[in-house]
Amino acid sequence: MIELSAIRKVFNSGRPNEFTAVDGVTLSIDSRKITVLKGPSGSGKTTLLGIIGCMARPTSGRIQLTGPLTQAVTFSVKGAAAEVTSLPERFLTEIRRRAFGFIFQQFNLIKGITVLENVMLPAYPMGEDFKLLRERASRILSDLNLSGKVFSKVEWLSGGEAQRVGIARALINDPAVIIADEPTAHLDTKLSGEFMGIVERLKNEGKTVIIASHDPIVFDAPIIDRIVEMRDGRLSGGPQQQ
Amino acid sequence: MILHPSIIALFLSSVLISVLLLYSSYYGILILRKWDIKSGSELQLDLERRTYLISTILTYVFGFQLISLFLFVYTADILHPLFVGAMCASGTLTVNSYGYPTLILKAFNFIIAGLWLVLNHTDNRAYDYPLIKSKYKFLIVIAPLVVAETFLQTKYFLGLKPDVITSCCSTLFTSESTSVASDLASVPSIPGKIAFYTVMALTLASGAYFYLKGRGGYVFSALCGISFIMAIISIISFFSLYYYELPSLHCPFNILHKEYSYAGYPLYMCIFGGAVAGMGTGVLMPFRKATSLMEIIPVIQKKLIVIALVCFLIFTVMVTYRMLSTPFKLEGY
Repeated sequence: MIELSAIRKVFNSGRPNEFTAVDGVTLSIDSRKITVLKGPSGSGKTTLLGIIGCMARPTSGRIQLTGPLTQAVTFSVKGAAAEVTSLPERFLTEIRRRAFGFIFQQFNLIKGITVLENVMLPAYPMGEDFKLLRERASRILSDLNLSGKVFSKVEWLSGGEAQRVGIARALINDPAVIIADEPTAHLDTKLSGEFMGIVERLKNEGKTVIIASHDPIVFDAPIIDRIVEMRDGRLSGGPQQQ
Repeated sequence: MILHPSIIALFLSSVLISVLLLYSSYYGILILRKWDIKSGSELQLDLERRTYLISTILTYVFGFQLISLFLFVYTADILHPLFVGAMCASGTLTVNSYGYPTLILKAFNFIIAGLWLVLNHTDNRAYDYPLIKSKYKFLIVIAPLVVAETFLQTKYFLGLKPDVITSCCSTLFTSESTSVASDLASVPSIPGKIAFYTVMALTLASGAYFYLKGRGGYVFSALCGISFIMAIISIISFFSLYYYELPSLHCPFNILHKEYSYAGYPLYMCIFGGAVAGMGTGVLMPFRKATSLMEIIPVIQKKLIVIALVCFLIFTVMVTYRMLSTPFKLEGY
């Protein structure tokens, strides 16, 4: 479980252009479920996702990883809840690598290198045997019907293929949590449906999936376990605690 | 004040070090008063981020503090032709009454700055800031000493007048006067050597025992401190004589000269390095049981033990080799 306690994120604090992106969000996200952060642009979904995924630090508030997620925390007491917002940067890096896989709206694939190399990249710092890593990356790509594109440059891919490469890259370190930010923003209805099919498969494999989206194809999908609505940096439709 | 590049470098760096230390101490006090790792308040998260900045600043500041001791001695040494009667750093430091106090405080600050760096390095290896309060309490003790050092050094540099007639090592480090330096110079050779080699042997043995068994850390740390003092006394009282091949010259600075192959620099680096590393193991002893440091501290201590033992061993080998290889014989003096 991921437990957020009074999370607040203020940009340009103390300046005339101060902006509160997330304002006192308290939330528990269950493991092995699909949670959607739903809300209009500027509601704080992406900022909150970044904070949950240890990509950014909150201005105030704490986040705890509990239960199976603590397996990714190798430096703490085994099985104990891990508070991540106070961690020094190098520990956050380790958590980002082991616990979270990111799927970005713009895919963020690196041009000029192949699909396989893009997928293997996040695993390089782990120092794993190259042959084993390559086999795992090929298997994940095969599972996502990308066997024929393994040695293609990423700039040759269609939008749907690029999205699936992004998913394969997110899965390469076998993270417990998949975080996706507006994953269907650049996909048509058919490809969006395919994406949701992949998400269902990830859930069945025991992954926790957190998606930020304002696409009805995502939040109306029957596989979604929970929808958290956001507006103006707060949880809408009720108290700030969910 | 003599506008020599080394003096300007030392003066500016000391002022900079003092200002940065005072800035860091301000946040140190804030951390000591307000730090609460369980709180998710804006202030707490700000302090957590601020501590990375302070830690980085202090690493560089204390890093230069370590170098500045040698730069100070080097400066005092190269300035000696400007003062009548001075033949080495010893004479330059006697030009006014602030020279030796500055040197002694610099040497002391070298050790405590080194120990702070050991503490900081260990704290940065853990995930939950286990030494945060200890290291900032320590910082608040160090900061006034470094500021005092800057004050004494500034007074010393401002008081350097080229026309001063000064006395040098041949009158300071002689057994015929009644100062501390002359007391050190008049330590008898054979009992001194027995004491030196006994202390070094005990330090090496306790270090080996601590490394292999993980026990006896405080004893090893204390012995490293004693070895440091013993090494300084031994240089002044008898090892320096083997370098100069003169029975009455006990100067601890002449061995920094080219004619003695700059032997003083590696010798002093070894004893200061050995002291910091060795005593650093002792500084970490009270924190071995902290949950997040249980696996980290033994690894760091082992590295420090090796550094301390190598430093003291190199020192012992260097002075022993000189003693055995020179035709000069001290027995009887």
